[in-house]
Amino acid sequence: MQVVVSVLVLGIFFTIFIISDTRSYKQRKVEDTITLAQVIGSNTVSALQFLDEEAARNILMELHKVNPDIFQAGILDKDGNVFVHYSKPGSDSPDVFTLLKNKNSLFRENHLYVKSDILNGNELLGKIFLEADLAELRQLNKSKFESAALLLLLALGFSVFLAMIMQTYISRRLLSLVNTMKEVARTGDYSKQIADDGKDEISVLVQGFDQLMEKIKENLRRKDEFIGIASHELKTPLTSLKGYLELLKQIEDHSLSRKFSEKALNSVSKLEKLIRDLLDVSKIQGGQLELNPIEFDMGNLVDESIASVQLFSNTHIIIREDDLKNTMIVADRQRIDQVLVNLLTNAIKYSPGEKKVIVRSKVAKDELVIQIRDYGTGVSSEEQHLIFDRFYRTRNTSVHISGFGLGLYICRDIITRHGGRIWVQAEEKGSTFSFTLPLHKLAAKQQTLLNLSNEQNFSSR
Amino acid sequence: MNKILVVDDDMDILTLMEMTLSMNNYSVKAIARWEEIYESIDQFNPDLIILDVSLGGADGREICKNIKRSDRMQRIPVVLFSANAEMGRHVSECGAQAFIAKPYTLAALLQTIRENLN
Repeated sequence: MQVVVSVLVLGIFFTIFIISDTRSYKQRKVEDTITLAQVIGSNTVSALQFLDEEAARNILMELHKVNPDIFQAGILDKDGNVFVHYSKPGSDSPDVFTLLKNKNSLFRENHLYVKSDILNGNELLGKIFLEADLAELRQLNKSKFESAALLLLLALGFSVFLAMIMQTYISRRLLSLVNTMKEVARTGDYSKQIADDGKDEISVLVQGFDQLMEKIKENLRRKDEFIGIASHELKTPLTSLKGYLELLKQIEDHSLSRKFSEKALNSVSKLEKLIRDLLDVSKIQGGQLELNPIEFDMGNLVDESIASVQLFSNTHIIIREDDLKNTMIVADRQRIDQVLVNLLTNAIKYSPGEKKVIVRSKVAKDELVIQIRDYGTGVSSEEQHLIFDRFYRTRNTSVHISGFGLGLYICRDIITRHGGRIWVQAEEKGSTFSFTLPLHKLAAKQQTLLNLSNEQNFSSR
Repeated sequence: MNKILVVDDDMDILTLMEMTLSMNNYSVKAIARWEEIYESIDQFNPDLIILDVSLGGADGREICKNIKRSDRMQRIPVVLFSANAEMGRHVSECGAQAFIAKPYTLAALLQTIRENLN
């Protein structure tokens, strides 16, 4: 393809060059011939003045001898009558006088016809006419075409040669990429890398492949890690549940049996949460997490969420430092509750030995900002983006903290689906988790949100 | 009364083990932080150690190896404890006496403890 195009382009250039060259050659020839006509004309001035036909004819014949390309020459006197006319023997050219009746020069079948005035001072004595054969031009064009064809052929050969080298080079690398891909597909070994630190498009492609493999490998590693954690996390509350129930079977003491059943129920609820998180993640992955937006008072919800978390914590006290009464928003109430409970539970889990968690909220422009501040282990700056990833668990704790590492991932998904943002900020001690929710005051905007959430559900499916 | 030291980073499991074992006439010390294990062995002088494999920040198998390398502690039987059933294969290579998978059955737990008390 490239070869065809380059030869085509070369061909076009050669043609343009030959055409323009021929044109300038013709132009030059016209000028030369007119000059010749003027010279001959001035030589015949005296012949015309003295009406010496013989002298004029001699001049024209001499001209033919010196310049055999001149096939025809003739002179008209000032009245337009033929004074003298010479024509090359055997030439069948049309009469030069009639051809140039209205023109000064003319090309016809590779012959050039020109005419020029014969002047003596300012006095017009007559007109001279010449016909020149342009065999030279034909010859010239022929040789030009020959060399052009030769050059084209050479260019063609050279570009085919170059293309072959390039193609072997390119296809060898592409083939190596394809083979690696096939091998990966066959063996499932995602640690394959094709080192290529070049700068061209294929190197970029190969580097893209390497990055993709790196990403797949990382995801697989996290998935494996997740499966390990999942089995551990599911089995631990199960162990507890089973253990207490077995003890319950063993004893008769009623006050103790009450305590044991409480413990067992606590484990059951932990299991429930883990299983719900797992289901949520699989819904998010499948794009099936649907929102059911309704209008409600955010202040009430914050109170309810705090109360439900406070119920299970006797170590921390959750303090509200604002009054959010009558802040109506349109959102999925249950899901926002889930986010709040998750962030509050995290704040308690990750600040062992501390006593308080603070909830702040404010209305900024057209959004509501909720902030949950803890005084715990904090989040390092490297971790601030990672903690919202699926399966990510902080390594910043010495005591084991239960969970899949899915909570924040689910929170982020819920908040972004609502058109809000979620982020974490490190504090001098501990950290602040914040999220926003858009405030849609008009009924029309509520409808937009409804549609938006539905669209998101469909588009991500 | 035989003394059992339990090391597990999950508080729920620790409480459960504490109750289960004391109800079955063992004297129990339960610790969540693995860093405290050697100190606890010295002070409590247990007759058997139940050791969780995946402790926050440490591998129970390595701790077991350490115990078995020490002249002072190597006589104490160690029972590895894990939710990962595959860990059972590593028992002998780290010198442990037995393995109990979570969730366990009470009867099996008590039997394993009895069998491994010197």
